[in-house]
Amino acid sequence: MFLTRSEYDRGVNTFSPEGRLFQVEYAMEAIKLGSTTVGIRTPHGVVLAVEKRVHSPLLESASIEKIMEIDTHLGCAMSGLTADARTIIDHARVTAQNHSFTYDEKIKVESVAQAVCDLALRFGESVHDEEAMMSRPFGVALLIAGNDELGPQLYHTDPSGTSMRYDAKAIGSGSEAAQSELQDKWHKQMTLQEAQILTLRVLKQVMEEKLDQHNVQVAQVHSVYSHPFVHCLTASQVTAEKGFEILDETSLKGVIELM
Amino acid sequence: MEHSFASPSGHPQPHQRHFNPYSENGGTILAIAGANFSVIAGDTRQSEGYSIQTRYAPKVFRLTDKAVLATNGFAADGNMFVKKVRQRLEWYRHAHSKDMPIRAIARLIQTMLYARRFFPYYVYNILGGIEEDGSGAVYSFDPVGSYEREACRAAGAAQSLVQPFLDNQIYFKNQTPAHGTSHPAHLPLDHVLELVIDSFTSATERHIEVGDGLEIYVVLAKGSTPQVLDRWQGVTEMTTTQDGERMFVIRRNLKRD
Amino acid sequence: MSIMDQNGGSVIAMVGKDCVAIASDLRLGNEALAVSSNFQKIFPITDRIYLGLPGLATDVTTLKERFRFRVNMYTIKEEREIEPETFAHLVSSTLYEHRFGPYYVEPVMAGISKTPSGGFKPFIAATDLIGCLNYAKDFVVAGTASSKLYGVAEGLWEPDLEPEDLFETISQTIMNALDRDAYSGWGCIVHVLTKDKVITRTLKARMD
Repeated sequence: MFLTRSEYDRGVNTFSPEGRLFQVEYAMEAIKLGSTTVGIRTPHGVVLAVEKRVHSPLLESASIEKIMEIDTHLGCAMSGLTADARTIIDHARVTAQNHSFTYDEKIKVESVAQAVCDLALRFGESVHDEEAMMSRPFGVALLIAGNDELGPQLYHTDPSGTSMRYDAKAIGSGSEAAQSELQDKWHKQMTLQEAQILTLRVLKQVMEEKLDQHNVQVAQVHSVYSHPFVHCLTASQVTAEKGFEILDETSLKGVIELM
Repeated sequence: MEHSFASPSGHPQPHQRHFNPYSENGGTILAIAGANFSVIAGDTRQSEGYSIQTRYAPKVFRLTDKAVLATNGFAADGNMFVKKVRQRLEWYRHAHSKDMPIRAIARLIQTMLYARRFFPYYVYNILGGIEEDGSGAVYSFDPVGSYEREACRAAGAAQSLVQPFLDNQIYFKNQTPAHGTSHPAHLPLDHVLELVIDSFTSATERHIEVGDGLEIYVVLAKGSTPQVLDRWQGVTEMTTTQDGERMFVIRRNLKRD
Repeated sequence: MSIMDQNGGSVIAMVGKDCVAIASDLRLGNEALAVSSNFQKIFPITDRIYLGLPGLATDVTTLKERFRFRVNMYTIKEEREIEPETFAHLVSSTLYEHRFGPYYVEPVMAGISKTPSGGFKPFIAATDLIGCLNYAKDFVVAGTASSKLYGVAEGLWEPDLEPEDLFETISQTIMNALDRDAYSGWGCIVHVLTKDKVITRTLKARMD
């Protein structure tokens, strides 16, 4: 594809004669350089797992944050230019909060994915003579995991502003190998724990370093949907409803030992 | 608008004229929630001062298959507000591919009203319908968006006449149940309809701004049978979907004097 | 804020089958501040006439005394008890004497009148603050909760109620109307008049 490179890869607003937007395609390439990220949906919830590349022994691995919460019932994992994800997640969080402020209900996972995609295509937009807000497409893809009235769901969004729902999806540098492994091992009735183990096994296969609780990050969403009418939860129900939850190192270690 | 007038001293005096953007068009609305239904009613007289502008101006509007909004106060604001709510419901349907639940409509109405905190819609709203869990719901609002879910509410010109009657007949206020029994939390549909009609005939009798016609919307939860309505005259079914909530409107005459 | 609403208070009277009932709240306030919870505003005029005076408290007290004086004078001069219809006209003319500087009260009266044939007939009436008489077949109301009283009474009242049923109807009417009026309440009192007795009951009501 680099052979066809021409003047058309300069402006983000210009299609090539073959009908391509090179800057968007290059942005997708940036993701293929990112660390591997895996997501699996089961009837009981969704699991996200990311590889954290610890380049230096002096690097505090706990400071690498590749999974973030968007609202209590959903979050996302990223791959690519993770700095770009800040802008996107900020937007997603505001959208989710605005929704619950205006409608007194949790936003759907699909709606968040759509909001992210709306933002992804804002590059090169300018009003009159004003400078465009964003000069280039985002160089990051997201796996959005959440739980709403339709149950647990996993969405993938990329710089082209497309969002698609998956049962299991891998993105980033090891995504090809990881995706075929997921296709082999994923089945309909997985438990949440089986999904946790599978994400880690898939990551382990594509990672160069030995997998441990310092170089991966895992998050999950339970499928227990808190209905808006369940106001008076008992104490046990409160603890059962965890929503979106990023595993701490202790519980992550526990999962790794189960592998 | 400033005009100069000669004052007794001969000096011109500035005069302020004022445009009043609001008027009050009378009428009364009322809604009662049952266990699995909701009744939303309003009279159809529209007046300004002592003049009747029309004997048929609906104040109760169907929003979705399971939500009905009644507006009372300044009719122009009420009609425009309903238009805007319907527009927001359509946008929501497109963005989220579902009908907005009544609880969400209630919150939306609050934000829409509060957005106009300093130039309010001069309207009291009552929203009725069926909640996601199948229960009958009534939400009442003040003009700037303060809202509450209740079992019954009256608003408008005859609110002060109707509300204490409803307190007594719906909430059984000041009534002690016979020993070993208790008051029902919800009343059956035919009983509720009787109370609605009694409320409006009473209000018509004693309030000049109430009368002419009565529109009673009945929303039934999924799976409930509308047999009770067979006994009633002037019932029109407005249901558009199958196997969902069912909606009816009962149209009656009220005294025209 | 009208002078009529300065002290708060409401009265209602209803007709039943060979009986009448009159009821009032017991509050005396100074605008929103409650001062007394035992301020009587219904007064017996004869054994068969009760008069309710909701409005400005000072005028309530003054008028009560004026009516006592005038009824006593009537009884002495005429050597007979005053009839409700006559008393209503007495109230009306007393108020109209002050057409351009009125007493701020809207009297409500209930009584049992004697018919020429020796029978008895329930009678109720009300006037505005300058004495315009209003006879009604069903019920009359006055005071700060008047609109509420109208609404509930219109819904609950029915013709030919026996004394006990009339008592229940007027009690429910006034209590539920009072609960929606900030200026009336703090207890209420009900009198049911029949040709040979008066039943007076103080009701246990919300005290807020």
